[in-house]
Amino acid sequence: MLPFRHAIISAAGFGSRLGMNSPKCLVQIGGYALIDYQLDLLQDIPDVRIVVGFKEEDVINHVRQKRPDAVFVRNPQFHCTSNSHSVWLASRHMKEPFLILDGDLLIKKSDFQTIMITEQSNKTWIGITSCKSEEPVYATVNEKNQITNFSFTDATAWEWCGIALVPPNIIGSNQKYVFEELKKILPTAAEKFTVYEIDTPRDYAIASDHISNLGYSLGSIG
Amino acid sequence: MPLETAFCFDLDGTLTKQEILPLLAKEVGLAEEMSALTMATMQGVLPFQQSFRLRVRLLSEISLKRAQEIVATVPLYALTSDFIRAHSKQCFVITGNLDVWVSGLMERIACPAITAKAEIEGDCLRGVSHFIDKGEAVRKIKKDFEKVVIIGDGMNDVPMFEQGDVKIAFGGTHPPIDTLIKMADYVTYHERGLCCLLDTLL
Repeated sequence: MLPFRHAIISAAGFGSRLGMNSPKCLVQIGGYALIDYQLDLLQDIPDVRIVVGFKEEDVINHVRQKRPDAVFVRNPQFHCTSNSHSVWLASRHMKEPFLILDGDLLIKKSDFQTIMITEQSNKTWIGITSCKSEEPVYATVNEKNQITNFSFTDATAWEWCGIALVPPNIIGSNQKYVFEELKKILPTAAEKFTVYEIDTPRDYAIASDHISNLGYSLGSIG
Repeated sequence: MPLETAFCFDLDGTLTKQEILPLLAKEVGLAEEMSALTMATMQGVLPFQQSFRLRVRLLSEISLKRAQEIVATVPLYALTSDFIRAHSKQCFVITGNLDVWVSGLMERIACPAITAKAEIEGDCLRGVSHFIDKGEAVRKIKKDFEKVVIIGDGMNDVPMFEQGDVKIAFGGTHPPIDTLIKMADYVTYHERGLCCLLDTLL
């Protein structure tokens, strides 16, 4: 039994800090587009939705080749809306929990597979990773391995990593960050991932160095 | 109490894996010409009514019985047809195609259809007696439902999209036209994706 049936990849934004004239999800790393690695993780999930905005045709044409039955959710207002608005667009009619995945993440494959095997069906959890980004959203984790708070200022060893399995109707149409919306369901179980988020040229260089250790068999996802 | 959601489907290329008119045109040796005309119409290069009248004229030498036999063989998207059959009180097919041609297909799909009407004489097609306004058809359906979901692929689906609450551009048979993609909330190219989406919109 799958731990969830719906997954949403947020891939609408500019990726302006990376400074490439391409949607971040199409940036090549280890010879493949970033989104190819995510689609590889989601190959058993029946309902995969990609929120598209910036250069939507490019993203659609690329993803169609890899995942012919993907559903593209259009966010034409991507330039002036938040990530939570993108997730809301993709999830507003859903009646079951869904996975959210930021389109700029490179996730260690075995971490994700563990979740797929061990998690109970539709149980809510939020992903964290050891703190390493330049502007982290710190996660406070209690002794029961639950996240109790998110903050820009209360430093901890963990940060929100852009992956979560959330109940329907939690993420609203507003200008907030997704983690602010997730505060509504705290405390929630934490799941730890090795994740590289690609925001800046420095992030890109670090992720490129680590790509071969993340467990992907590149030949099989091309 | 009104049902929550209505689903309005285009027929050619949305529920059928092939465009119907080019298939009929094969019978009279005009398949390529018909395909070109159909594509031009889908893209909005030719107004639908004029183009359809012309296409019907080209096909009028096929007897009705033969045309119905041919149309009955057109493959349908199986998952989408299953969805419609399972929710037949909420599903509608809205097509500019002719009642006499698509009646066999509609028996297989088994939901209400709003179609153009043919002028017939015996076993011969004389012309089109009634064109449909797809937008108007959706407006009528809307009165009985809380929200209307539209699924289409071509230029003549634009009036439906203008009336819909949720708009899905479907590219299973050929890519949806750009205008429709720009109006759509969702775009998908496979019936599996489409049906996953439809299930969540019920």
